[in-house]
Amino acid sequence: MANFHLQIVTPDKMVYDGEAERLIARTVNGDVCILAHHIDYATPLGIGEARVTDGEGNTRRAACSGGMLSVSGNDVRLMATTFEWADEIDVARAEAARDHVSNAMEKLDHKEMEYARLSAKLKRALIRLQVTE
Amino acid sequence: MAGASMKDIKLRIKSVESTMQITKAMQLVATSKLRRAKERMETSKPYAAISRQAIMAAVAQCNDPTVPFVAIRPVKKRCYVVIAGDRGLAGGYNANVFKEVDAHRGDTDFCVLPLGRKAIEKYNRMKAELLSNAYGKVEGMTVGVCYQLAKQLIDGYLAEQYDEVWLVYTSFQSMMTQEVAAEQLLPLPRPEEGEEKLVTTIYEMEIGEMLKTVTPDFLAGRLYSALCDSFASEVASRRNAMDSATKNAGEMISDLRLKYNRARQGAITQEITEIVAGAEQ
Repeated sequence: MANFHLQIVTPDKMVYDGEAERLIARTVNGDVCILAHHIDYATPLGIGEARVTDGEGNTRRAACSGGMLSVSGNDVRLMATTFEWADEIDVARAEAARDHVSNAMEKLDHKEMEYARLSAKLKRALIRLQVTE
Repeated sequence: MAGASMKDIKLRIKSVESTMQITKAMQLVATSKLRRAKERMETSKPYAAISRQAIMAAVAQCNDPTVPFVAIRPVKKRCYVVIAGDRGLAGGYNANVFKEVDAHRGDTDFCVLPLGRKAIEKYNRMKAELLSNAYGKVEGMTVGVCYQLAKQLIDGYLAEQYDEVWLVYTSFQSMMTQEVAAEQLLPLPRPEEGEEKLVTTIYEMEIGEMLKTVTPDFLAGRLYSALCDSFASEVASRRNAMDSATKNAGEMISDLRLKYNRARQGAITQEITEIVAGAEQ
């Protein structure tokens, strides 16, 4: 299958820079799948699972949140706020975060700002756990 | 008389030697910090560069002048994000940054978001309007902190407290040269006129909406990269300053040694002359 050039970056590092066959990522409107020669495209990212199939056909899963995806020519750039490969995720920490946040949310008396922040946090923790399953 | 001057010179040598010990130690500390700082700077660069491209492409295609980060407002007041050092003794590092801000702002009303203890001190002394004085440590500032900063800057911008946001930082060119740079953060950067390409990009969301969502990410990434860049520059500039201070001290000591030996020689000669003169009588 045809490949494209994929770059995945977070503010503190370049996570992936190389050939890829397929990228699946969660945008604000749901999952998209990018293959080679996709039309130019841009979208903000949501919180969700990402899957990268590299040039050799190996697929890796990752937890990805926030940022932006842009396709221009055959260059695909995923600019994420956080991006962690499944094997780099600290499961114990994600579980602790999930429990901590869901406890905090139960005690909350509907302060909207705080609620939105916590539910984003909970979602990130759940995605991390989902990816490592 | 010759004896007294010998003692004076000896004291000076001692004091220069202890100063040299300090500058030497500071140089070694800076050298060891520099390697990590440079590494961090390198890894923070791709995100800032790539997101800048994507943002500029989106801004170029945004025809809606009411989108807040694209619209250009008449400038009544500017906000400067000034990144300086946590400590002094780094050659002209801090002074150069402040000079650039002064040259840039002209007479326009301004407020400052100082990063680094030296910047906070400087603008406190000037009695300038500060957005915050909580960010006194540039070394080891995290991405999370940059998101807070970005949010604060955007809130103030949307509330029309200021009409432009500028970043003044030091960019690391090489071990020997570091350059101060000023860069506009808000309104978002747009590509040079006349570079218009055929537009075929599909946007999942309306461009204005998308820019609202991704601008905090872009700003945070840019700030983080500028912080890493500045910190590497600070350490490099301190290393250079301490290197030349150590060299100077070495030169001074060998100069003083020469003087000391001359004085010693003079004293001995005088003593011999006195003895010989006494014997002749």
